[in-house]
Amino acid sequence: MNQSTPELVIDRVSRNLSGRTIIEDLSLTLDRGEVLGLLGVNGAGKSTTLRMISGMLAPSSGSVTLGGLDLYANPERARRDIGYLPEEPPLYGELNVEEYLGFCARLHGLPRPTINAAVERVIERCELGEMRRRLTSLLSKGFRQRVGLAQAIVHEPALIVLDEPASGLDPIQALRLRELIRTLAVDHAVVLSTHVLSDVLACCDRVAILHQGRLRHSAVLSEIDAGSALRVQIEGDVDKDAWLHMPMVASAQIIDARCWRIRLRDGSSASDLAKAINDCSFGLLELRADGNALEDIFVRIATQPDTTEAAA
Amino acid sequence: MKTIRLIAGNDIKRQFAQPFAWILLALVTILLAWQFLLLFEVYLELASKLNAADPRGASDSVALPVLRILSGLLLLIAPLATMQSLAGERRAHTLPLLLAAGVGNLRIVIGKFLGAFALVALIVLIAVCMPLSLEFGTTLDLGRLAAATLGLLLFSASLTAIGIACSAWTAHPALAAAAALIISSLLALIDMGARLQGVNNELINWMSLSTHLEPFFFGLIASVDIVYFLLVTMLALLFAARRLDSLRTRG
Repeated sequence: MNQSTPELVIDRVSRNLSGRTIIEDLSLTLDRGEVLGLLGVNGAGKSTTLRMISGMLAPSSGSVTLGGLDLYANPERARRDIGYLPEEPPLYGELNVEEYLGFCARLHGLPRPTINAAVERVIERCELGEMRRRLTSLLSKGFRQRVGLAQAIVHEPALIVLDEPASGLDPIQALRLRELIRTLAVDHAVVLSTHVLSDVLACCDRVAILHQGRLRHSAVLSEIDAGSALRVQIEGDVDKDAWLHMPMVASAQIIDARCWRIRLRDGSSASDLAKAINDCSFGLLELRADGNALEDIFVRIATQPDTTEAAA
Repeated sequence: MKTIRLIAGNDIKRQFAQPFAWILLALVTILLAWQFLLLFEVYLELASKLNAADPRGASDSVALPVLRILSGLLLLIAPLATMQSLAGERRAHTLPLLLAAGVGNLRIVIGKFLGAFALVALIVLIAVCMPLSLEFGTTLDLGRLAAATLGLLLFSASLTAIGIACSAWTAHPALAAAAALIISSLLALIDMGARLQGVNNELINWMSLSTHLEPFFFGLIASVDIVYFLLVTMLALLFAARRLDSLRTRG
């Protein structure tokens, strides 16, 4: 495969179910080594998108290609390169962890001599050693999720698709899962869906926000943070023009009545802004780096159904 | 072929890891053994009047009636053996594992079919062992017994395939079993129903599963009957594969 070709290309994909448009004109790309977070409220179309990426569901229009192969024109070959963890881990309760992972490895076409080594590797990677002989039906939620993840990576796929992987986990389990996902991203392309912003911030390189089946925002997380600049809390009510009259302010965005997100022009500093606010007698209460830019974007999109923010 | 074997093997292993398959096996065996012993008792009473060396005696009085009873039970056994195969996977949310693994729909269906058929075929073979035990004390018409066994295996393959198709159609195992029971019973009894209504139609007669099973009990192995059972089996499996396909395309 050509190294310059993105691992996963979703090109103008739409999906209708029962006469309703679930996904509309979605385009995304993903390279090996990247983690893409699909963010959206419940019903935004995240799971449908992941089911299409994993080959579970055919798009009504558009195409999904993996490593240059169309997922539906070459389904069997392409899908061997995908590891999919659905929202509910697909575990056979009658099998123990080791038997189950062995079955998954064979199902994904691993040659027989390599199966034992692959199962051992994934048991170690997902820290399932103490549970290896336990029936999957007897596992706790956290271990079920880990076994689900193990089945998705046992065959070392190029693309790993995870639907709400941290759902139902306690904070410690969620933390360890995030660490695991970060380590997976070294060798694989990873797509995960979630409605938990902290998961995206902790695991992902890029974020795509879906709302009502459409891609409303797509960005590299580091760019969101870099561009977010400052959050300013003031005593008085001011309008946007008052901010824009300040020479160091590139843009101003209201968060609530007295809280603003301010982006500075190149070469300006936070102290310049603080001085200007004092000079204008706005009554500065708080000035800090804006670490919640993603949250604000998400909340704005999720609460304004008619938003027309262009996808990057 | 490797994937089909894998899916079938996994289903067989999972079936026998649960009590359901064992209970089904035990109940059917007990029921058939009871019927076998009743028939055997009647046969012993009549044995003095029959020529023990005449193979038609034991075969007609005990062996084939037991297998006929089994053919009726299979209408219930096959839906019970197949109801979990695809409907159970959908209900337990495990079907995505197969669908996303790059395994073709038809291969999934054939694997599921073979997994369920193994249990049904085992029941048939256990049932056949009962009349075969008479061979120690009398002479059986082994040719007829072999033909009847072949017929029952083909008949149960068709019923299993119908069960798989119903199991693909719904996510509720009980509904799948009920649908399979109704369809199988209709196909088995359609000619009898038509005759009761005074209709004697060749097509209705040909469509009936019983019409094609009956010759095997007389030791007649006709290619038309074999083809009929294979056709029903293949059509039902294709329908199941089509249903999986529509799960991908229609959701």
